[in-house]
Amino acid sequence: MNSFGTFVQLVVDGLAQGSIYAALALAIVLVHQATGLINFAQGGMAVLGSYIGMTVGNLVVPVNLILGVLVGVIVAVAASFAIGAFIERFVMRRFQGGEEDTKVVATIGLLTLITGAIGMIWGFNFIPYPFFFNTSTSFTVAGIAISLWSLTTFLTIVALMAVLQLLFTKTKMGLGLRAVADNPGSSALSGIRVGRMLMVGWGLAAALGTIAGILLAAKAQLNPGNFDAILVYALAAVIIGGLSSPIGAVVAALGIAVLENLAGTFLPWIGHDLKIAVPFVLLFVILLLRPQGLFGRKSVVRV
Amino acid sequence: MNGLRNLVDRPWARWALGAVIAIILLVLPLSATEFTNQTITRIAVFAVAVLGLNIVMGYTGQVSLGHIFFVGVGAYCAIIPIRALWGGSIAEGAIVIGFALAIIIPGIVGLIVALAAVRLRGLALAMITIALPIIGVPIAKRFSDITGGNEGVSVRRLDYVASDGQTYKGNPFSAPAWSGLADDQWQYYLVMIIAAALFGLAFFLVRGKYGRAFAIVKANESVAASMGISPYRYKVLAFTIASMYGGAAGFLYIVALQYTSSETLSFGHSIELVIATIVGGAGSIVGSILGGAVYVLVPQITNAISPESTTVVQGIVILLVLFLLPGGLASLPRVLARRFRRARGGHNVDSSNSTEPAIENTENTKH
Repeated sequence: MNSFGTFVQLVVDGLAQGSIYAALALAIVLVHQATGLINFAQGGMAVLGSYIGMTVGNLVVPVNLILGVLVGVIVAVAASFAIGAFIERFVMRRFQGGEEDTKVVATIGLLTLITGAIGMIWGFNFIPYPFFFNTSTSFTVAGIAISLWSLTTFLTIVALMAVLQLLFTKTKMGLGLRAVADNPGSSALSGIRVGRMLMVGWGLAAALGTIAGILLAAKAQLNPGNFDAILVYALAAVIIGGLSSPIGAVVAALGIAVLENLAGTFLPWIGHDLKIAVPFVLLFVILLLRPQGLFGRKSVVRV
Repeated sequence: MNGLRNLVDRPWARWALGAVIAIILLVLPLSATEFTNQTITRIAVFAVAVLGLNIVMGYTGQVSLGHIFFVGVGAYCAIIPIRALWGGSIAEGAIVIGFALAIIIPGIVGLIVALAAVRLRGLALAMITIALPIIGVPIAKRFSDITGGNEGVSVRRLDYVASDGQTYKGNPFSAPAWSGLADDQWQYYLVMIIAAALFGLAFFLVRGKYGRAFAIVKANESVAASMGISPYRYKVLAFTIASMYGGAAGFLYIVALQYTSSETLSFGHSIELVIATIVGGAGSIVGSILGGAVYVLVPQITNAISPESTTVVQGIVILLVLFLLPGGLASLPRVLARRFRRARGGHNVDSSNSTEPAIENTENTKH
């Protein structure tokens, strides 16, 4: 294959991988906008949802593969929505208004607890995830091989983002979510149930993460540590894109994935193992030049 | 319990308690088993690591999730020159070079990381430092010809050329003949002396001018800035000092184990170190020692009971501590004393209680 063909293929694969980063980054921004905290357990919650989906899905798969996978996805999304809402209500709300570092450590504790619980229940080995089609399938367009998994992943995440955008801008609940994110005090005074909105925000973020978790597991199998590195990419995307900008985070996530894919192939010294360093070199340069992120707003703090 | 509480508040009682513990620690290794000595040595190693994390997290309020990276880098910076130089023309000087590099290089790396990461307010430092172990492990594996990759590097049976020109195998950290000590006792004393010196330095750091600046930056950055204390500069300083402490802990790790690998700086260990710091007690010197004990003993205990439960137990412990004992184990005596007094229903009006309402108020707002 010529090097242009390789280039296009790397970009396509990068966009697919990047849309997984983007989904997690978007989940993190969603929680941050609602509650002002960074949920370091977001990746762990996504993996937990995927395991639940796999377990339930596998009960139905012997009857019918497509139906089984579908049931698994639906159960996983519902379960992770419930888990997200539960964690907000019974763990994180207790730390609301407390110190920032306490909240971070609380989410780190959740990450540890969730990872450990997954390990105890399902073990630490890689487990194949049943999926609609064989994820190594690919088709050729104009001499360039495009993986069916890449295309499905990219389109699914783009569709989800469109749905979320509609939810936030066109529905009453979306208006409530935005109001709570903007000013919880005034929202409460105007009759919005702030607590419930926070639970919905956490639930939506968890569900979004779980879909990304399932898409990743379909290709790379399921493991408790699946999202450890992806969390790092997502956080890098969130910083580069700016914490206040969902679109910025998504664009940054896609950019990071494409760039690291290209660097890993065209710069032999970096290779597959060191490509995780690529977003961080980028991040350092950006932080030194534009600390508020590429798309973020400069905020003024009043004393 | 009021009598005990008053006793705890007396400075001389604290000094006496400290002296008793110091004497016990001094005499203990002569009679204890090798396993006990090695365990206490490892607790001291990680107490230094936790102390470093406490300087940036407990005292300055900046969450670092990648502190183990500096411990790992320090361990490599210590063991690589010792492997290359020990026993040759500079003999024991190699250990001094290793110690110096283990502090300087992590300090420089920490400075560079902090200069970029601290530019953002709030949680950016946590979000960036979480990447350090995740990037550090593949880098360590890539340079496996000097780091040993997964298998790691060891100086337990190191080839060296003695003064008679012959090649021998030896361990740079085995006890010299003049000391009359066993290896584990020698390593114990070596680690303890260095750890005690580092704790002493930290004690004066956090109580002096810099410590007060760190506390203001933690409490309110805008206030700090308005008082002429640059939050940026002091956060960078705190992070750099913390990195140097991490590196020093890496050197002590080599003294204690004479071995390191890419596993030393893994993501999981980094999280465990954060948990140990909070469970021990953030912003507390005693809490740092307890944190070292938590880091070493909790996995040892859970491994003995059921190895697969280790991570779950750590997750439960940290959440319980955050819920019930936000000051960590170090605050336990104070909290217990207050509980007991409240249970007796007594309202003492002596001066030592004047700070009580303030403490209770801050706790109420957290709930």
